[in-house]
Amino acid sequence: MEFLNFLLILFTAWLIWRRPQRERLAFRLLLVSCLIMALLFFIGTHTSLVPGVNI
Amino acid sequence: MALPQSRLRNLLAWAVMVLTVCPVGVAVWLGLFQGDSPCILCWAQRTSMMLIALLGLFILRYGPKPQYIGMAVLLGAFGVFMALRHSALHLVRDVGQGFSAPFFGAHTYAWSWFTHWTILLTIGVLLLLLRETGVGAWSAELNRTGRFALGLFMVVVGGNAFQALVSTGPPPFIGQADPVRFSLNPRHWVWSLEETAGKISLRGSWTIPKPDPTALEVDPVPAHGPLKDLPVLTVAGWEKVSAPLEGALTDLAHDPATGRFLAVTDRYDVYLLDSTLSRVLHHVRLDPGFSVDLSPLAGAAFLEGDTLAVLSTNKSYALLRPDSAANPGAEWRHFLATDGAVAELRLGRFATVRARQMYVLSLAYDPAARELITVTVPSPRQRRLVVSRFARADFLPASEFEPHLAPGLAGAGGDSSLAGYQVTGAAVADSLLYAISAAYSTLLVMDLHDRTVRAAYAVPGLTRPTGVAVQGSELLVAQADGRIARLERPAP
Repeated sequence: MEFLNFLLILFTAWLIWRRPQRERLAFRLLLVSCLIMALLFFIGTHTSLVPGVNI
Repeated sequence: MALPQSRLRNLLAWAVMVLTVCPVGVAVWLGLFQGDSPCILCWAQRTSMMLIALLGLFILRYGPKPQYIGMAVLLGAFGVFMALRHSALHLVRDVGQGFSAPFFGAHTYAWSWFTHWTILLTIGVLLLLLRETGVGAWSAELNRTGRFALGLFMVVVGGNAFQALVSTGPPPFIGQADPVRFSLNPRHWVWSLEETAGKISLRGSWTIPKPDPTALEVDPVPAHGPLKDLPVLTVAGWEKVSAPLEGALTDLAHDPATGRFLAVTDRYDVYLLDSTLSRVLHHVRLDPGFSVDLSPLAGAAFLEGDTLAVLSTNKSYALLRPDSAANPGAEWRHFLATDGAVAELRLGRFATVRARQMYVLSLAYDPAARELITVTVPSPRQRRLVVSRFARADFLPASEFEPHLAPGLAGAGGDSSLAGYQVTGAAVADSLLYAISAAYSTLLVMDLHDRTVRAAYAVPGLTRPTGVAVQGSELLVAQADGRIARLERPAP
């Protein structure tokens, strides 16, 4: 999934460069990338979502 | 203070390039040429940095719109959280015990923390430098620096994508907790979904219920316990602490040298009582809210030299001493109430390894070994009974062990049967540790030399036992209601 996310980021950067009029699409793709990143992080920490220290 | 748009755009383009090259580009180089693969958490933080750099490119192209700045701040804040969560796995380990190879003296999770924090600071600085009229007049054309930043960004993202494909695989595979060394040889590739295993939890292994010393929900019937056919130790007599106490009694200790008793309650009160348990010689109420965090007091012991030790359920302790010359002004900060003749010597916390993430409800002192002793309260996440010993000299761990059952004390689950007991009081005599369990009203007698439970006795008739003290040939089992059961101490 990390691979897919970097492809999304790469495509978004290409839109900014070559298709700047697709600003809304580019930003939506960025939001999707953010969600995938957060999802992968929470999968990696799902057995203890907050830091394992005294809080 | 504000900069012209052209200079600000160049500054932002340089910020994007620094963010792209320094943390992320170097990480890709380390991965592709040094074999250093990131873990699943590192991947997320690396992605966060690239997304923030991408937002910098958005601003270069479309101007400093609120949604781009807001998104960058959100990602920076989430990145700090991710770095903190990641660092928490390793920061408290011993010296040099980080995860993966250090880089310029710090590990990647520490660099992520620094990077995301720096990003937030940089956003603040750039906003300070932005002219109020700059948003509307923003040019959509990328200048030379901006184009170079965009090209560099795409190269580094491409490198990341290639590294991610090799080391984590195509969808649906995801990164690993313990990443595999990067290799271009497909035979060495490991693509997995192992990180999806396990239950969702907010605190994980830190979800330990806090025991209430006076209201444990336990079965008091000895016959229901994991050790069967135990000999019965009959209560020889009852008495009561007649001195007025604030709160429920949570432990009792006896000083053979003076005959005095030490009692603690669930309201942080500490009482030095006379030999008849009827008169208060000294009294203080500890202040739990400042300095070392004290949970309800659950243990008490006399140390040598007139020093009193009291312990709270979270293994924090206080050392006190009766002192007629105590300075009331200096002691005011330690106590919520005091008779004016007690000094606080020390506040501290016991550190444990085997008993980590477990609470305790007992404290004993072994004068022969000059060690303080605690016994853990098993929990659903930590199902074991651990005896921890701490040197009187420096209060550091001297040893820890999970006791074995002596031959003839067979439980259904072997040694693990002991995890069924909830020890609420402990005392030492003749190198034996007497531990009373509120669960199944059972007295465990442990040999501190060979670390075995030498004997166990059913003590029917107890109600919420919270402590035990040794007085000559007798054991005094204290209850939360202030009543004391006298038992004949089993022969060594």
